[in-house]
Amino acid sequence: MSAINNNCKYISKKQVKITFDGNTYQAYEGDTIASALLRNNIRLVGRSFKYHRPRGIYTCGIEEPNALVQIISEHNEPNTRATIKRVYDGMEITSQNRWPSLRYDFGAINNILSPIFSAGFYYKTFMGPKGFWKNLYEPLIRRSAGLGKPPKNFRSKSTHQYHNTDVVIIGAGLSGLAAAKKFINTKYKVLLIEQDSYLGGVLKNSNKVKTINGLTPQEWISETEESILNSKNITILKNTLVTTYNFTNHLIALEDKFAGKKIDLNKSELTLHKIRTSNTIIANGHIERFISFRNNDLPGVMLASSFEKYIHRYGVVPEKEPVIFTNNSSSLSLLKTLINLGCKPKAYVDSRKKDNIETEIKKILKDKEIPFFSDAEIEGCDGNKKVETITIRQGKSFDKIKSSMLCVSGGYNPDIHLFTQSKGLVKWDKNILSFKPDTPFQKTITLGSTSGNYSFKKLCDEINEKLSIFKTKKVSLDINLNVPNKFSIKELWETKIKNKSNWAKSFIDLHNDVTTKDLKQAITEGFDRIEHLKRYTTNSMGTDQGKISSINSLAIVSKILKKEISEVGTTTYRPPYAPLSFAAIAGRSTYEFYDPERKTSIHSWHLKNNAVFEDVGQWKRPWYFKASENETMHQAVQRESKTLRENAGILDGSTLGKIEIKGRDALEFMNLMYTNAFSKMKPMTSRYAMMLGEDGMIKDDGIICKISDQHFIATTTSSGAPKVLADMEEYLQTEWPHLQVYLNSITEQFSTFNISGPKTREIMMRVFPDIDFSNDAFPFMTFKNFDYKETKIRIMRASFTGELGYEIYISPKFGLELWEEIFSCGKEFNLIPYGTETMHLLRAEKGYIVIGQETDGTVTPIDLNYNWMIGKNKKDFIGKRSLSRPDTSRADRKQLVGLSPINKKDIIEEGQHIVELNELPKKITDPIKYLGHVSSGYHSPNLNHSIGLAMIRGGKNLLGQKFFVTATGKTKNIPVEIVNPVFIDPENKRLTS
Amino acid sequence: MILIKCPYCGERDQSEFANGGEAHVIRPKNPESLSDKDWGEYVFYRNNPKGIFYERWVHTHGCKKWFNAVRNTSTDQILKVYKVNEKRPDLSEFQNTLKSPSGEPSVGSGNFAVKK
Repeated sequence: MSAINNNCKYISKKQVKITFDGNTYQAYEGDTIASALLRNNIRLVGRSFKYHRPRGIYTCGIEEPNALVQIISEHNEPNTRATIKRVYDGMEITSQNRWPSLRYDFGAINNILSPIFSAGFYYKTFMGPKGFWKNLYEPLIRRSAGLGKPPKNFRSKSTHQYHNTDVVIIGAGLSGLAAAKKFINTKYKVLLIEQDSYLGGVLKNSNKVKTINGLTPQEWISETEESILNSKNITILKNTLVTTYNFTNHLIALEDKFAGKKIDLNKSELTLHKIRTSNTIIANGHIERFISFRNNDLPGVMLASSFEKYIHRYGVVPEKEPVIFTNNSSSLSLLKTLINLGCKPKAYVDSRKKDNIETEIKKILKDKEIPFFSDAEIEGCDGNKKVETITIRQGKSFDKIKSSMLCVSGGYNPDIHLFTQSKGLVKWDKNILSFKPDTPFQKTITLGSTSGNYSFKKLCDEINEKLSIFKTKKVSLDINLNVPNKFSIKELWETKIKNKSNWAKSFIDLHNDVTTKDLKQAITEGFDRIEHLKRYTTNSMGTDQGKISSINSLAIVSKILKKEISEVGTTTYRPPYAPLSFAAIAGRSTYEFYDPERKTSIHSWHLKNNAVFEDVGQWKRPWYFKASENETMHQAVQRESKTLRENAGILDGSTLGKIEIKGRDALEFMNLMYTNAFSKMKPMTSRYAMMLGEDGMIKDDGIICKISDQHFIATTTSSGAPKVLADMEEYLQTEWPHLQVYLNSITEQFSTFNISGPKTREIMMRVFPDIDFSNDAFPFMTFKNFDYKETKIRIMRASFTGELGYEIYISPKFGLELWEEIFSCGKEFNLIPYGTETMHLLRAEKGYIVIGQETDGTVTPIDLNYNWMIGKNKKDFIGKRSLSRPDTSRADRKQLVGLSPINKKDIIEEGQHIVELNELPKKITDPIKYLGHVSSGYHSPNLNHSIGLAMIRGGKNLLGQKFFVTATGKTKNIPVEIVNPVFIDPENKRLTS
Repeated sequence: MILIKCPYCGERDQSEFANGGEAHVIRPKNPESLSDKDWGEYVFYRNNPKGIFYERWVHTHGCKKWFNAVRNTSTDQILKVYKVNEKRPDLSEFQNTLKSPSGEPSVGSGNFAVKK
């Protein structure tokens, strides 16, 4: 039965109600879920990962391997550590990984089958046949093994906060507070970070310390906290856990803003602190480790210091009459605590020899008549879903004691996780039987038990010495103890099982259900390197990262391998120290804030006219316009395409990248960047141009307008604009710094409209009555500037559809006005707006390529038959030399061709393969010869059949030949003829007249 | 997240920068005169050492300037930054900093004790 410690100051008297698996329980404000459940004598809180064994609360902190629960009242948050999470009124909690209920879990059959689930079971068992892993094994394993269910969709308002400080102190326990004291009212900017909502660490969690400087621990904490708060240079962050220690002293810490309160979804729930510091002081203490014995996972087994922490920190004695099992001197404070509260342990089992046990312990045990077993160990414990009887081995005799709780202490590990994350070196210390920090890699200082110093008396000197690099005064600590100052420990990692059986289990990793037998088996199978062993057995790979057990497993392995532990080495400690929520990492960068949305000046008009949008880079572009509610995309695109070729259409091309190139050497620069030759090009003309990589492959295309030899405007693809500008800038800065050229992105400075179709000239004459649009005055690929109302416009004669076309550039401020003017003039000519899909269809009919569709980073201009674009007489341009590499001049490279179905009703699908077979064989024995792929496929409303553009091996020489295109879900292939990729107006009559 | 000192702006967070691969790879002046092999070396081949590496960075979300840095790839320490037109620092300058974290051997990776 549990009891209450009325002296606890950290728990309020205010009662709250929580529900666990549907039952309501009373708790106090300030309780964690674990302390609330222990208060109500609930021991069974979950089922284990693999064997579905009943599990209870093992610890009282972040190291908890077992007590993971699901918080229903917080958007179903899974895998919450019950030992950390504070309760509030109305909190709804359920246990995890059990069905139908926690007490009667069907999955527990795994425990009966456990002899076959040994180390490497998954690797050995789920080998084949092919396809079974994906379709059968994996879904099955995922359902039966595992933890909580995923959370519900919710919108997190978590925030990120940045800090730049001189010193960060991690942990506000005795050493952390003493270190902080040194910095009071100094020039150093200090951040003191504490995981708990109260400062004090070991001082509040135990009664190890009697007095400090004549004050009780509680008085000393209050006094210190007050003086720190009064000091302007020190900030305290409570409820904050440092999870990550990166390079260049960069720390990440997670603050729980609602610790102990119901979450308000309108406020930030978590704050992720990103801290850059000059020095880091790690003072986050130690973690107690367990001992492996038979059934050491039964609910009721708990670490001794955690048991003590529940009494002092949460005011709940989990059990009045527990059995204490230890191999070290630290359990004296637990013993004293229990005696002071009038509780009497059922037995005290110490693995040390009687002579080595402190006289103070022996005296208490004798005075209080507590059964005392020295040089003894726990063989195991038994019971139905809880500890009922405990078997003690002393020499050759066995004693059985009835008790429902067993407090275990296997010694302490300095909490070196953050130190090793910082890439510091650790070394083995024989006095504490653990690894402790050795050489730091960064500006890192460890203090107190983190540094392996378990002596309270030596702490003051340690702090003054290690912090002497700072210009601060010395601190003095006069500490009186309730425990022996000298730490004594006897090596004990695992106790022998009396009756060997396949079902007897002594666990080494509670989180992932790894037993000591698994370790032995893995070594026998040859996994004798610690990193291999870890992965093969999944030992210490759970979300707790084996905080209470990893050193134990190293010790057990070293014994089997007959090596020193320091020779076995540790596995790598990786961030985060404890799991942190994805919501905290994402912060505010979710939904519409995930990536900026860019909209053109015509966006509102598009919305009003039923545009369906497509994302192009960050831009929202109209994909197609719905003429009526029921019009499908296919119908809309066919209608838009047909209307444009018969009348006229207009596209909002504002998203097209535009770069202004100016300067003395602009011409030379353009000649180097693009394949084309610009020297002989007349001013106020434009040209379709290509940009290659140094490997000769096409990177981007666009129209280049030449205003003069010193002034060009280049257009780029909508999504390629930033990259093209960055590439130009890179070459200017790194390869050709002697060129005087200035670049400027002017994409947003213009609204751009592409108007095309046979009736375009008439519409333009209506909109701009003062401009002469005749073919002689305004030929193809020229541009002119005009005054228009109170602004200026630039009109260029160009086309991406193959029809007569103009591009209009105007300031976005006047964009919408002009757009609407064009529509009012174009109404009688049946002018329609069209989207990107129609644009793609029309350009495919004309055989124009699209970057990223016909090209994929392996296509040269020669592959596209665009030899005319290459300035062969130019001495050099980016990629030129690569075009004569043997690989780029191969005759069997994939080259651009057109495809026309022989049966005009067949549909050519984009992405399909081109083969020589008219039908795919039922059973494929040899690879099918692959000739190429369909890069674009559309139904052409103007030709009234399907067309395709394709990249085919040696395509240039295959004109007129018959091949086959595969089709989705069919074995029968579509016969096609290889044709010229230009389906419409091959003589360019429409463009140029 | 490491700190990088832009020679023009000072120390800034890594997220403001983009890496540009190996430094001091100069574009040949007369590509046409190069053999296929030599041109291929320029286009496709780069060093990727464990240890001292001369590399290019650009302050993308800042001054947009390119500069060079000497980085120890095994510790991620940036040992020196210098402008593009400045001389390549001699390797001997960094002899004393050739240490990898956790005392790992300078070649290969992983836990020292495990590797033995």
